[in-house]
Amino acid sequence: MTDDACQRYTHDPEAHAGHLAVCEKCREIDTALSTVVAHRPISVGALPLAPWEQATYRAWPLVVIGALAVLAIAFALCFAAGISLLRAIVTGMSAAQLRGTITIAADALRRASLIWHVAFGFCFFLVNTVLVLLLRRAPRGIDA
Amino acid sequence: MRKGLLVTAILAATAVTATVAAPSLQMPLGPGSLSAAASMMTRTAVIVSLLFVWIVAALAVTLASGREVRYSSIELRSAPLHCFALGLVTVTSFVLTAILFSYLIPYLVGLPLLIALGLFAFLAKIYGMIAVFHAIGTLVAGARSRDDLAQRRWLRGDLAMVLIGVLLLGAIRLIPIAGTVVWSIASVFGIGVALATKFGRREPWFLTWRAAEA
Repeated sequence: MTDDACQRYTHDPEAHAGHLAVCEKCREIDTALSTVVAHRPISVGALPLAPWEQATYRAWPLVVIGALAVLAIAFALCFAAGISLLRAIVTGMSAAQLRGTITIAADALRRASLIWHVAFGFCFFLVNTVLVLLLRRAPRGIDA
Repeated sequence: MRKGLLVTAILAATAVTATVAAPSLQMPLGPGSLSAAASMMTRTAVIVSLLFVWIVAALAVTLASGREVRYSSIELRSAPLHCFALGLVTVTSFVLTAILFSYLIPYLVGLPLLIALGLFAFLAKIYGMIAVFHAIGTLVAGARSRDDLAQRRWLRGDLAMVLIGVLLLGAIRLIPIAGTVVWSIASVFGIGVALATKFGRREPWFLTWRAAEA
């Protein structure tokens, strides 16, 4: 068969399907390609589970039951302890202790000698340098 | 060289963080008296009430930006040591910077800087803890295969994983002393992963300078 006919078949196999009946060379190529595709079955179930599969599913019954159960337990415990739920939340969210510690540390630094100021400045510089170095690393995440 | 630096940074930051975040030794160790029992009951009520707030916040953030939380959770599971090291250094940096800004309060500039730092630390902690909840929930109750996932009715999706994580960590937090330590470690992981992934956006914090090519 001529090369022109083979090229026409290569460009549009469906339009020139009759070419396979007369050209043995093209028939061999077609058979080889069909065999390669046919012998590679894709089993979706065997592929590893991606983190985003079904991730947007919203399990409202579970969420509502869980949240209401915790709320009921919190109410019961607050009732037993003799405090209101709001009071318990405000008490828990208070950062007074941390604030006090930092204020005490700042006051102590203000009264400290020059050497302590230098030491604090050195620590501050060192820690923030390490922080910047660690932040320069690109996240691994989904590429891992 | 870099590994040595990392290990040194971890050791130094662990010492500072442990000193700052260690639970108070004055807390009641057991219900030895009526007042100690009442104190423990109040403490439990406060923790469980806060747990409800955490659930509401976690669900709201997961609904608003589930993909970011998921990315951070993946990062936490794939590079836990880096997240922990970054968290330790960040907490140390927060404390030192807060002391510096408190020092500057008499010069007026300190107060707005301190407020900005507090806000940033608060957001990092909230977002990071939600990523930790998601990571724990996925590790404990996540589907292992596609068939397993297909059989599940409710226990799938970001919301369910976050809820499982909150409930699990919240239950652990109720344990005296150990619970506080575990929660503090989770906070360090959370702050670390929040900064490592730039709040789940996976963008670089610093632009790299490169010479223009002709």
